[in-house]
Amino acid sequence: MNREDPIFVAHRLLDEQILDSEGRRCGRVDDIELRGSPPRIAALLVGEGLYPRRLPTRLRRLARRLAGPERWGANALRIPWEEVADIGVAVHLRGKAEELGLGGGDNPDRWLVRRLPWN
Amino acid sequence: MKSILKIALGVIAALGGFLDIGDLVFNTQAGALFRYDLLWAVVLGTLGIAVYAEMCGRVAAVTGRPVFDVIRMRLGFGLGLVALVASTVVNLLTVAAELGGLAIILQLLFDAEFSLFVVLAAIGLVIVVAVLPFGGIERIFGYCGLMMLVFVATAIHQDPDWGAVAHGFIPSLSSSTLYLYFVVGVFAAALMPYEVHFYSSGAVEERWDASSLKENRMNAVVGYALGGVLACVLVIVSGYLFHPLGVEPGDLGTVALPAQGAYGETGLLLALGGMMFCVGGAAVDSSFSASYNLAQFLGWEWGRYRGPEKAPRFTVSWLIFLFLAMLIVLTGINPVEITEYSVVFAVVALPMTYLPILMIAGDRSFMGEHVNGRFSGLLGWLYFALIVVLAIAAVPLLLATNGGGG
Repeated sequence: MNREDPIFVAHRLLDEQILDSEGRRCGRVDDIELRGSPPRIAALLVGEGLYPRRLPTRLRRLARRLAGPERWGANALRIPWEEVADIGVAVHLRGKAEELGLGGGDNPDRWLVRRLPWN
Repeated sequence: MKSILKIALGVIAALGGFLDIGDLVFNTQAGALFRYDLLWAVVLGTLGIAVYAEMCGRVAAVTGRPVFDVIRMRLGFGLGLVALVASTVVNLLTVAAELGGLAIILQLLFDAEFSLFVVLAAIGLVIVVAVLPFGGIERIFGYCGLMMLVFVATAIHQDPDWGAVAHGFIPSLSSSTLYLYFVVGVFAAALMPYEVHFYSSGAVEERWDASSLKENRMNAVVGYALGGVLACVLVIVSGYLFHPLGVEPGDLGTVALPAQGAYGETGLLLALGGMMFCVGGAAVDSSFSASYNLAQFLGWEWGRYRGPEKAPRFTVSWLIFLFLAMLIVLTGINPVEITEYSVVFAVVALPMTYLPILMIAGDRSFMGEHVNGRFSGLLGWLYFALIVVLAIAAVPLLLATNGGGG
C-alpha cells in the first residue's frame, strides 16, 4: 500500500507494528495525528506516554499515575507521515529506529541494556 | 520421502507442546473419579485446540502475525490490555505449575529437597534455552516426550473392557457439579491457550510463509490426533486402575503408577521420563508465551531467532517471568493446586484471545485466498460459542466443588 492511497485508519493503521529500514520492530502506532480539512494523516504517535489516552476516561488518571504523563521526546514521539515508506503487514519506515528515537528500550547503547550479562 | 520425514518430525515436535501438567492432573483425576465417562470431553477439547491452532498457524503463515499482534490490531489498546493482563496472569500460574511439577518429578527420580529441585529446574531451563536454537528446543522436548507412549502400551496391556471405553466417547451430562467441573477441566486442559500462542509465534520464529500451510495442517490434524490419543489414554489407564479402588490421585507421582503396574520399574522410569520432558517443554512454552504476548502487544523486538542482544526486553521479561514463577512455587503452594487454578482461569480468559483470531482468519483483506472457508468458519464459531459457555461456567463450578475437592 502506498502512502498516498486512501486507508482505513482504524482497520489497518492504528495499533499496527512499526518496522524500521532494517526490519527491526520498534514500537506500535499508539495514536495518529490528523491535520486539515478534510483531515489528512500528519504523523504517527508512538510511546508509552500515550497509553493513558487510549483508555476509558475514568481510568486515565490511574494510568497516568502508573505510566507517567506523556512527555514529548521522552515517552511520546511524533513520527512525521513523510517518514513512512510503505504499509503492508507492518508500517515500514524510511529511516533507522535510532535516528527517529524509536525502539530505545532495545537499544544496546542504553545503560540498562549495556549492563545485561550477555552484552 | 524426505518431506514425509520432515513432516513427521515436525508433528512430533508439535506434539511435545500438547501434553502438560494440566492434562496429567485433570485426566488422571477424571479417570479415577468417573472411569471412562469423560473421554468425550477430552476429544472435544483436542478438536478445539486443533481448530484454534490451525487458524493461528494459518494467520501467522499468511500474514506474519502471531496472536497478540492480531489482538492489539483487532481489540485496540484498551480491550487488548485486558486480554494481555488476563493471559499474563494465567501464563504465570501455568509456568509456576509446570515448574513445580518438574521439581516433583525430579524429586521422585532423585531423592532430595523439593525447593532445591525448583531452583535447579529453573536454572536448567535457562541453560537449555540459552544453548539451543529455537528448533532444537522444540525438538528435544518433543522427541523425549515420546516416552509417554508407555501409557498407550499400558492401556493395551491392561486390556480394559473396550466396550465401556467406547461408551465413554458418547457425550453425556449429569447434574453432579463435580462431573461438570471435570468436563470443564478436562476440556480446558486440552485447550490451554499458551500452547497456541507459542505455536503461532513459533511459526514466525521459523519464518513460515504460505508454503508452510501444508505443514500447519498436518500438525493440526495428525499432531493433535496423536496428542489426543495420549490424553485419552491417561484417562483410560487411570480409570482402569484407580476407579475400582476409589483412589483419588492427589499428587503427580500417582499419574505414573499404572505404567509401573504394567511394566515394573522400566515402565515407571519411562512414564516419569516422559512426564518430565512434557512438563519441562510446557514450562518453556508457557514462559516464552508470556514474553511473546507482552512484546507483541507493546511492539518490542522479540524472538529467540533475534538473540538476546537484539531483543533485550523480550529476554529480560522471559527471565523475570521464570523467576516470578519460581517464587510462587517456593511459597510451598501445592503445584497440583496451582495447576487446577491455571487451567480453570485459562478457559475464562480464552474467549478474549480466541475471538480476534477468528475475526482475522475470516477477513479476506488480510488472508486473501487463505481466508476461513465455510467449514472452518462454522467450526470456528461453534467452538467460540462453546468456549464462552464454559468460560462463564468455570468459576462458579470451581467454587461450588471447592476446587474439585467435592
